[in-house]
Amino acid sequence: MSTTAHNGHSKGDAPTRGGTVGTPPGTRMPSGSDFLYPFIEADEDDAGPLLIDLAASARGKATDSGRLQAATIEAHRPALGALARAMADRFTAGGQLFAFGNGGSATDAASLAALFTHPPGPARPLPARSLVADEAVVTALGNDVGFELVFSRQVIAHARSGDMAVGLSTSGNSNNVIRAFGEAHRRGLLTVGLAGYEGGQMAACEDLDHCLVVRSDSVHRIQESQAALAFALWSEVQTALSADRAGAHQ
Amino acid sequence: MATEAGRAIQTPQAPQAVLGGLADDLATTCLALARRFWTGATMWCTAPAWPQHAHHVAVEFVHPVIMGKRALPAVAVTDPDPVSALRTLARQGDILVAVANADDRQVMAAMRRGRAWGLETVWIGAGPRPDAGAADHVLWLADEDPGRAPHVGSFVLIYHLLWELVHVCFEHPGLLRADDSCTDEVCVTCSDEGHLGEVVAIGRSAEATVRTATGPALIDTTLVAPVALGDLVLIHAGTAIELVEGAQT
Repeated sequence: MSTTAHNGHSKGDAPTRGGTVGTPPGTRMPSGSDFLYPFIEADEDDAGPLLIDLAASARGKATDSGRLQAATIEAHRPALGALARAMADRFTAGGQLFAFGNGGSATDAASLAALFTHPPGPARPLPARSLVADEAVVTALGNDVGFELVFSRQVIAHARSGDMAVGLSTSGNSNNVIRAFGEAHRRGLLTVGLAGYEGGQMAACEDLDHCLVVRSDSVHRIQESQAALAFALWSEVQTALSADRAGAHQ
Repeated sequence: MATEAGRAIQTPQAPQAVLGGLADDLATTCLALARRFWTGATMWCTAPAWPQHAHHVAVEFVHPVIMGKRALPAVAVTDPDPVSALRTLARQGDILVAVANADDRQVMAAMRRGRAWGLETVWIGAGPRPDAGAADHVLWLADEDPGRAPHVGSFVLIYHLLWELVHVCFEHPGLLRADDSCTDEVCVTCSDEGHLGEVVAIGRSAEATVRTATGPALIDTTLVAPVALGDLVLIHAGTAIELVEGAQT
């Protein structure tokens, strides 16, 4: 039984697509070895052992995810403090945050923006939005100027020098994300990249002020740790703003 | 806030500590979903408070991260009225996955209606649990703060596991065939068991046509009359015996 979801292409931000040809719904999907062992898997009728395997696999993956999240935050703790300080200053000065990514990373960018604007508990709402949210803008740009420019053209339209750009890509190679960093950097934005694997192109991107890499080769585990990292970053920004307010009232 | 935020950057709660019995729930859920996909189901995903989670679940299944894995039909439903959208879109045998807190009224209604529409329902969330039987499968992080869970990656982990394990089930075709032999000791029709129906047409003399999990049915509504289009009723032996939920709720 193969339960590992490691390696393979990253979803949404892969430079080339691994097109998966699906079997039409309702038809039986033959497994590769059926013709060799026609009576083994096909005649399996007791689900008990599979259910035990599935639960064990879930526990193993959750354990891996937890360890990676802890290690990732530990590795980036000093950088997060400095980054959060810089972001808090920009928010205080009226800056706003733009988040972007592709596929699952697009949804994680939306989550990050929502966390800043609709924070849990008594935290201070801060202006942040996802550059993926408007399908009219994304498809207009993709259709007219090319998909590699869907984020950078929005940076040109909206960004001011005191703003922040946060791009997510599990591979670190998403072209449209890298292009947006270039445009953002030229305009004086604070640029932050969240990547996986070894950081890909983001690791060497001179337009990035901060590159936070989740060191894993599983797209799923990378995304889970990126979410934890984004939450930690948001928490630190709130802490910095609270400290500023406390200081101002003394 | 400083205290809370300060705590948040500490090592995140290790998922293995909170997965507990959820691992077993995930296992049975994934086998059930794989069986539905096998017979051609579409997976409808909704998360009214956090639409990005609905989108993430859908893209996970439609465009797998691992080359060669089958693309499965999954759709994010982000309509402001997900119940109406699902009523029109979902077909008997489909799957409904919701990511929402237990007090989400739209999801509660969609899950209830899903029974009448013949859907396999999955509810992912954190904090206080939904009522027993609110969905076929409740994948719950009961120990997590429901204000924090949607932001720290906890739900992302749950639906990643959902995807990974469904695909493991596909490697066991013998376990995916529909089980059409009735192993229940008592037939549903003859037992005291009731089932849900949604009124789709009102006939004469207290009759109504309802949508049920096994297809349309003509029922007697004398006991609950008058009924309106969209009413959800409990049916026993061809008779509506209780109004479960009105059309407008």
